[in-house]
Amino acid sequence: MNKTMMILIVVLLAFPLSVFATGAPEEGGSITLTIAGRDGAYGDAMQLAADEYSKLNPDVSFEILKLSGSSLFEKSVIDMKSGVGTYDLVLIDDPNVTQIQKAGWLADLGAMYDERSISLDSDFIPTLTKLGRYPYSDDGTLYALPLVGNVELFAYRKDLLDKYGLGAPDTWDKVLAAAETLSANEPDIFPVLFRGSKGNPIVTGFLPLFWAFGGSILVDERPAMDSPEALAALEFFLELAQYAPEGVSMYQSAQVKDALYSGKGAMAIEVWPGWIKNLDNPEESAVVGKVIVTKHPAQVEKSSPMIGVWLAGIPEASQKKAAAFDFLQFLTSAEMQAQMADATGIPPTRTSVHGISSLVEKYAWYPAQLDGLRNGVPRPRTNKWKEIEEALGTYLQLALIGEMSAREALEEVNAKIGEIVE
Amino acid sequence: MRTLKTNSRTTFFTLIFLPAIVVVLFLTVYPVLNTIILAFFKYNYLSDERAFIGIRNFLTIGKDTVFQSALLNTILFATVATISEVLLGILLALMFYGEFPGKRPIMITVIFPMMVSTMVICAVWKVLYHYDIGLFNYILRTLGLKPIGWLIDQNKALLSIILVDIWQWTPFAFLVMQAGLSSIPKEVFEASSIDGAGYYRNLFLITLPILSNQILLVVMLRTIDTFRIFGKVYALTQGGPGNSTETISYYIYREGFSYFNLGRASASALYALVIISLIAVFYIKGIMKEEN
Repeated sequence: MNKTMMILIVVLLAFPLSVFATGAPEEGGSITLTIAGRDGAYGDAMQLAADEYSKLNPDVSFEILKLSGSSLFEKSVIDMKSGVGTYDLVLIDDPNVTQIQKAGWLADLGAMYDERSISLDSDFIPTLTKLGRYPYSDDGTLYALPLVGNVELFAYRKDLLDKYGLGAPDTWDKVLAAAETLSANEPDIFPVLFRGSKGNPIVTGFLPLFWAFGGSILVDERPAMDSPEALAALEFFLELAQYAPEGVSMYQSAQVKDALYSGKGAMAIEVWPGWIKNLDNPEESAVVGKVIVTKHPAQVEKSSPMIGVWLAGIPEASQKKAAAFDFLQFLTSAEMQAQMADATGIPPTRTSVHGISSLVEKYAWYPAQLDGLRNGVPRPRTNKWKEIEEALGTYLQLALIGEMSAREALEEVNAKIGEIVE
Repeated sequence: MRTLKTNSRTTFFTLIFLPAIVVVLFLTVYPVLNTIILAFFKYNYLSDERAFIGIRNFLTIGKDTVFQSALLNTILFATVATISEVLLGILLALMFYGEFPGKRPIMITVIFPMMVSTMVICAVWKVLYHYDIGLFNYILRTLGLKPIGWLIDQNKALLSIILVDIWQWTPFAFLVMQAGLSSIPKEVFEASSIDGAGYYRNLFLITLPILSNQILLVVMLRTIDTFRIFGKVYALTQGGPGNSTETISYYIYREGFSYFNLGRASASALYALVIISLIAVFYIKGIMKEEN
């Protein structure tokens, strides 16, 4: 075998390996930040911020991945775990952040603040910054900043409730009473709306009611779904579901929104800021000025809306952490949040932005949103939340479709959660 | 001298193919081996907890009611969808045998579903199946009939997904059968007709026996494909209502990419691999027997 052949063989052997080689960090000059973000309005908002930032900093460009929630989680976990450092900024749904923080995959933002001799702006709503800390406490290490101030809200048709002399449904008992009245008198109206699909949707619809009845999913990291409070909550939920549309067990956000915007739904026990931004737009809504969006009803406990904040963190493996931190400061600034809220409707995470009069005029529910963000309940801080949510979502739906009684469903899910947290 | 030259050529070809072999081994053998090893571990990718637990994953998954439902649903899905697709494929091929006006445009229309992405198809069917605003229930209501919970009734949801699969993949069975039919010399049918054989005699004694290899091939390919059903479940029902449309692939996906329980995901993948391998061996034996 001659020398040429040997060289050829070495080149051929080396070629497959070169496919796996990673690029070196950019040095000086221009820089590209890669962001693992969400699709829809979140993606539009991120694009807006990136474009604005590039205008001010022409040497910084962006590659933004606009992914669905599940795809974002998969991709960001695989990248952060591998330590490749593909992403310089990642968006994280708050119940998923605990396991990512615990794994040590995010950069310590507190240290980065210290390096620049600046401090975290007190304008951020404290309950939301707490979600970015690990351990989950007011003085835990800060790993992520709240970007999207999502909180669950309650919506009802004021005109319909007024028609029958029903007051504002500020307790769940009043919601049920209103549903009964509307069912008897308005045959073309769905008295109650929620997402009944298996998994996250039905859990999200159920939790504000469950918490208002005094229920807890975990107590001291042990399952607590076999409590009398949980049973009362689920039995009440099933009673209320009798006034929901026939196909509610497969309802997703699109169906809830359709029913609400078309005027077919009277009370949505779960709406999110992103769903309701056009409720008063006559081109899209048949119920302009008729829907009140407010905090959830109370029961034995105070109103307990669920917080669903999206946080932004910098992966520890990123090779452009400093540049990413600068952009993160810009992205979460009051000015940018106001601009993003105005253009895309995504809810801010700063107190001051909730007070901007033009935004309050545009989004009448801002006071309720701010109240919800300050007093809302986050989902349990556990690294097993996804499995717990799936189990809870499965058994709630089995109870909803009549496959199990409330008691059976709770016993089953309690046992299942026990296995998961073991 | 000659032996030396032969050895040198062998070494050269071995080395020249080595990169490809390394890549193939890395992409096929390594993942399978890794899956087998992981199946015996309690391994969470997120927390990095990794402990050898023997066959416990197989036992807990086997006892898991969701997995049991997923396995039964998958078997039901694969059986009903495959049989329906093959039978309809044969029927269509027989209908399209011979020439008639407009054959080409009709054929293109018939095979169209197969060319469209599964996610697009599911988006369309999800609207058609919608309880309140779907076309099917609109027709039922117009006829004065009770609407059907296509995707919301747990006794009907799996069948509704099967229907979508049949709509999408019957054209594949049709194309293979049609190719087989075209390869049968016309003289065979002419001779049997002269001997007094009618249409059905020709069909059952000549056409179908000659097509048996193609039928077995389509049955094998469709069984394996339907056994891996994922996209339609993900897009239409996400396993619900209840566990009525859970399938093995969806179960594996959730364990692996939602919970990152790679040990459990690997064990469930091995269950699926064993079943699919048995099915494949069974069919391949059938095909080989036919050929002999």
